[in-house]
Amino acid sequence: MPLLRKERSALPGLNLSLGFTLFYLGLIVLVPLSAAFLKTSGMTWNDFISAVTSQRVLASYRITFLASFAAASVNCVFGLLTAWVLVRYTFPGRRLVDALVDLPFALPTAVAGIALTAIYAKNGWVGQFVDPDGAHRLLPHGIKIAFSEIGIFVALTFIGLPFVVRTVQPVLEELEPELEEASASLGANRWQTITRVILPQLFPALLTGFALSFARALGEYGSVVFISGNMPMKTEITPLLIITQLEQYQYAHATAIAVVMLIASFTLLLLINLLQKWSRRYHRV
Amino acid sequence: MSIHASGIVKTFGQYTALAGVDFHAPSGKLVALLGPSGSGKTTLLRILAGLEFADPGSGRVLFNNEDVTSVPAGKRGVGFVFQHYALFRHMTVFDNVAFGLRVRSRRERPSDAKITERVRELLRLVQLDGLEKRFPTQLSGGQRQRVALARALAVEPKVLLLDEPFGALDAKVRKDLRRWLRKFHDEIHITTVFVTHDQEEALEIADEVVIMNQAKVEQVGTPQDVYDRPATPFVHRFLGNVNILRDTSAWGRTGPIHDNGRLGSDGLIYVRPHDIEVVPHGSDSQGIPAVLRYIHAAGPQAQLTFEVIATGEHVEAHITRSGLAELNLKPNDLALLKLRPSHSFQDYTI
Amino acid sequence: MASATASLSTHRERGTGHARRATQDAPWVKWTLLTIALLFVGFFLVMPLAAVFTEAFRRGAGAYFAAFSDADALAAIKLTLITAAIAVPANLVFGVAASWAIAKFNFRGKSLLITLIDLPFAVSPVISGLIYVLVFGAQGWYGQYLNADEPWFPWLQQWLIEQDFRIIFAVPGIVLATIFVTFPFVARELIPLMQSQGTDEEMAAITLGASGWQTFWRVTLPNIKWGLFYGVILCNARAMGEFGAVSVVSGHIRGETNTMPLHVEILYNEYNFVAAFAVASLLALLALVTLALKSLVEWRHTQSLRSENSES
Repeated sequence: MPLLRKERSALPGLNLSLGFTLFYLGLIVLVPLSAAFLKTSGMTWNDFISAVTSQRVLASYRITFLASFAAASVNCVFGLLTAWVLVRYTFPGRRLVDALVDLPFALPTAVAGIALTAIYAKNGWVGQFVDPDGAHRLLPHGIKIAFSEIGIFVALTFIGLPFVVRTVQPVLEELEPELEEASASLGANRWQTITRVILPQLFPALLTGFALSFARALGEYGSVVFISGNMPMKTEITPLLIITQLEQYQYAHATAIAVVMLIASFTLLLLINLLQKWSRRYHRV
Repeated sequence: MSIHASGIVKTFGQYTALAGVDFHAPSGKLVALLGPSGSGKTTLLRILAGLEFADPGSGRVLFNNEDVTSVPAGKRGVGFVFQHYALFRHMTVFDNVAFGLRVRSRRERPSDAKITERVRELLRLVQLDGLEKRFPTQLSGGQRQRVALARALAVEPKVLLLDEPFGALDAKVRKDLRRWLRKFHDEIHITTVFVTHDQEEALEIADEVVIMNQAKVEQVGTPQDVYDRPATPFVHRFLGNVNILRDTSAWGRTGPIHDNGRLGSDGLIYVRPHDIEVVPHGSDSQGIPAVLRYIHAAGPQAQLTFEVIATGEHVEAHITRSGLAELNLKPNDLALLKLRPSHSFQDYTI
Repeated sequence: MASATASLSTHRERGTGHARRATQDAPWVKWTLLTIALLFVGFFLVMPLAAVFTEAFRRGAGAYFAAFSDADALAAIKLTLITAAIAVPANLVFGVAASWAIAKFNFRGKSLLITLIDLPFAVSPVISGLIYVLVFGAQGWYGQYLNADEPWFPWLQQWLIEQDFRIIFAVPGIVLATIFVTFPFVARELIPLMQSQGTDEEMAAITLGASGWQTFWRVTLPNIKWGLFYGVILCNARAMGEFGAVSVVSGHIRGETNTMPLHVEILYNEYNFVAAFAVASLLALLALVTLALKSLVEWRHTQSLRSENSES
């Protein structure tokens, strides 16, 4: 059975446009991506396993995964809150805040990275109050944000913020006010209406936003390298480890780690697609 | 429980939705709020429900003489059925109906067994037993409507309010469901107000019809009453087909023009097509000469369109098909038109 | 009934007299949520943006503008512009072709194709760079070809060696990696837009005797121009700002293979903070312009929807 079977149409241009699409997709995306898998297929299974499970690599998975998970979780809470405020309330500057939410999409990651580092370093706007070496330390021992795990978390929170807001916002906008009125007229108080009627309807979108934010954080590089301090075994994220291996001409090792990350990303992508199907299940008529 | 509302004003910015409206629904009756879209009927219903509030200081809503003007929806003891049902998509039919009981405070909440029993009973009442586990999207429009009704009834409301209850259904289901609602109301006898823009629907099932137009109440009465004795030119035009005739003195010679408010406050004659009598030209009776322009006889009645010679205005007359056969009229034939004395129910009182 | 009446009146006495609608939150809830959300936005979005400009002007306007007189900085700006000037049009043409095929025709495998188009978004920027190194690097397929004893097309090998045509650690690699990371932008804006518009207007044009190209230029393009513009500005922002992927393939040769974000990194690592933030401020300005244009397009879109609704 052919992969692409065409139906006859009165409009012209299918062969040209589809042909070009497939050619370009293959050239730019599929062939280079397959190179990663082909490269690792040249390794023995044992070499592959030892490359992707060495102590340093495992430590990098751990910090990348944990920081991404924490950032995505925090974004879930504040993203939902931001979406709620943007959709439900009118206040001066609402349009500005709405536009600003997309800043992490538009601001180059390297710029975000150095800006966040400047803010949270010991002499920065926030760092001077919280850093252990800060000039105006507020807490007795201080908290190290820049050049620590917390710095990674801060950068990943910045990067992932728009995902939750932008997936929840449209669902919240389309939620009929009648649902809340029905709930209220049946005697539910506002808290019951929110927890039993509104949140369940937002849940699939929230979960999708979480997954998108998490997936983006796993692969993030530019905003993290400046603020993380890059200490092996401690604050070295997996993408950075790949670059380090490359710089030492360890192409096979770098590629093996990349393949593990690609598999994780593609699994997440699949999960997100399934989530979005699931979130539309109530809408089937 | 009876409903009284008086002096209700509601504005949305520049737009006046209700301009001082009085409303009364007698206990246990089925009342229709009838009007074209934008007449304010849904706003009035939502104010009765407590989903919307009248402009501060403008009027009062009384349930059995108890002032509920500023009581929110959940405390009024009303059951509200939304036009598009507003069923909770993520809950089964059972959970939807049980919702109002489950959100009660622990002190007032019935036991799970009691809730189950009550939900089952309600679903039987609306003829949906066996569908407890379905989700709303797995139901037909009529079934969803009845789930919404059962959900509203679960909290034992004193008043049932329905916003365009049949508006989202197709014609056949509409007819079935409105007759079912009439029967259903006769069984449960709960004061019910429903909003509709469909005059046929209102006239068929309501005990009393409240006709609204442009933020005001135009007329209140039984269906018979408002149809036969329209109080205003608007009601004349809104309920059924009507001919509007300008030449009062000429038509006045052909029949009674004060009959049942036929002469509008605007000085025009409003007459229904079946109240126009057609007599052969050349007979000695007083009539307005007119030319038959068009015959539409593919129905229970013959619908004739005449052009009055003196004024050029078009007049529609409905006569029986045997009547048409007797007259033996063809297009472009001349005939005489008369106002028929209006019918029968002169002694009808409210 | 008596109990119901009693509860109604107690509620009224407790009420403030001003009744709240069922969809409205209590004022204290509203103000609390609003404050938290605005603080969060302020901390995480406004502050970094403000920091870029503050740091850039820390030593005054003179030091700020001096950063741009540096030849390496100018070379980085030039390379960034060249890269975007190739990557954006390439993905624009691809996006239009892909959405034409996907939105206007039915064929098996369509949803797989849409997923594949989105694939680059799921790939870490670093890995995006890595795969191009694997294909075009000295150790990769391209390197093997240049070193092959009996290559296909010996004249091509000869020519490439004579020209010393390098891809990785050179401009072609930077352009390719940028194309990869910005690959889905235009297509994913256009596909849903064109799908929602259907094919009726195109069919009408064809029945009136228009050719395929005429139909596209006169009927389809005017309908999708705002979506196209939207995709292009997002694609451009990412193309100019990409860091991870470009970092892997660039080789960081000053004045030759440094884009603006890479130049920022080098200056920053040399502790030349004012110059680093000065170049970064240009990129931040680009981001602000992008956001402004994006809001403008969205605003136009809601306006046109509103006028459509009021007409019907």
